[in-house]
Amino acid sequence: MIEVRGLTKAYGEIEALRGVDLSVAVGEMCVVLGPSGAGKSTLLRCINRLTEPGAGEIVVGGRRAPRGRQELRELRRHIGMIFQDHNLVPRLSVLKNVLTGRIASMPQLAAALQLFPRVDVEIALRALERVALADRAADRADRLSGGQQQRVGIARALAQQPQVILADEPVASLDPKTARVVLDDLRRAAHELGIAVLCNLHQVEYALEFADRIVGICAGHVVFEGTPAQIDDSTLLRIYPDLTGGDAVALSTGAHEAFMDGILS
Amino acid sequence: MSRFRLLAGGQWNTRRRFHWFVGLVATVGVLVWSARAIELSPAELLRGLPWIFDFLSRMLPPNPAFFERLVKPALETIQIALWGTLFSVVMALPVCFLAARNLSPSPVVFQLTRQTLNGLRGINEIIFALIFVTAVGLGPFAGVLALSIHGAGMLGKFFAEAIEEIDAGPVEALRATGASPAMVVVFGVLPQVIPSWIAYTLYRFETNLRAGTILGIVGAGGIGFELYTSLKLFQYQDTASCVLVILVMVMGADYLSSKLRAQILAP
Repeated sequence: MIEVRGLTKAYGEIEALRGVDLSVAVGEMCVVLGPSGAGKSTLLRCINRLTEPGAGEIVVGGRRAPRGRQELRELRRHIGMIFQDHNLVPRLSVLKNVLTGRIASMPQLAAALQLFPRVDVEIALRALERVALADRAADRADRLSGGQQQRVGIARALAQQPQVILADEPVASLDPKTARVVLDDLRRAAHELGIAVLCNLHQVEYALEFADRIVGICAGHVVFEGTPAQIDDSTLLRIYPDLTGGDAVALSTGAHEAFMDGILS
Repeated sequence: MSRFRLLAGGQWNTRRRFHWFVGLVATVGVLVWSARAIELSPAELLRGLPWIFDFLSRMLPPNPAFFERLVKPALETIQIALWGTLFSVVMALPVCFLAARNLSPSPVVFQLTRQTLNGLRGINEIIFALIFVTAVGLGPFAGVLALSIHGAGMLGKFFAEAIEEIDAGPVEALRATGASPAMVVVFGVLPQVIPSWIAYTLYRFETNLRAGTILGIVGAGGIGFELYTSLKLFQYQDTASCVLVILVMVMGADYLSSKLRAQILAP
């Protein structure tokens, strides 16, 4: 569903991505793991072109580089995005925030007058049900807790009925319990709705717990690709080269325990 | 060792002390120079004091019979302020998006619109009123036009600044859904700015009401004409009635609009 080949991106002198290859299949939860500044965000933002990519090729659901604004919007319509700070519109209701995910495929004038097609409202409500927040539909978005707001963000992406969801550090500002709820929502979206989910994380244990596949990125290079079970100390050291051997052992043991806990519970 | 340590303005060295000294001397110099030019004179004020009291005593008590004649001009002042505010909102709305750095299509358009707004803002209502009285003739409509044009400059800048202060996150999120630029504005920008836009507009109405009370002096309608005429005819008790009515109107508008603004800006 997502195919990235030889992607590079430089900001002036700084090379954020130095030839990244990556693919995500339909219904797969793929986690991009790496330290801050590794290029994870840039990679995601190049895919929906919030950042203009450098060289290389990106194909999403058969769509190549868009020519013109119409094609760009068409491409983005099929890609949901989830942000670290959820980026909801604070003064709008939860339902309207979710409906903004459908705006690109609505009659514009009616939408501007706050008249929404019943079909779209129905889709938005179903998306809210998936994240168990249908009962908060009428509340203002800024009345919700951080975790709930992030789940509304997921509902907004789901309302797009996308082929692909990009999640940029979706749990970085959440407590562990809420983080697991959010990541579980994302994984279920992948497995149950057949969406290709590409999710940036910097916490190893979450990656091990929720990923179908992990892509490790360091300094703009892919340094690992495989299943969570294939992650060991040496791969962790490749992804996080600043760690010492001991740290990596502690990290991976702790992580594996968390992973096993996750499976057993 | 002193018990106190001065922490005003960072490190003091000889160079800085010298700069401060020069700045101080220059400031005092300009003030003294200006004081001479404007004939600033406490002695003159003291000499004039009896006359001020004399004038005040001639104003008192306000003439109650005059109030009746003020009803229509007072209402007219409010009506001028209302339409002046409405027209400036209508003019400011389409321009403010171009004058906001984060939404403007190009730096040239941004500078052009922003400077135009600054120009309108820079010219006082009374000057516009004089111009419009010449153009459309004496009367309240000239006043409305004066308030509209000056107010459009004010509101345009305020509206644009409100747009510049929004959180860019939701806007980016909407862009990422493939929404058109117009929809990004309707759902990403407007919900974030409308409360402060309304607050600015209410504040503008207050200001317009205050300005509306003097437009009559140049023949542009409202209660100012009565005030000016009563002074010219030495009917100081009538003048006092005018001042009282103006005070009540302005304070009433202040009170109402601050109540409304508090309601709207409440989270």
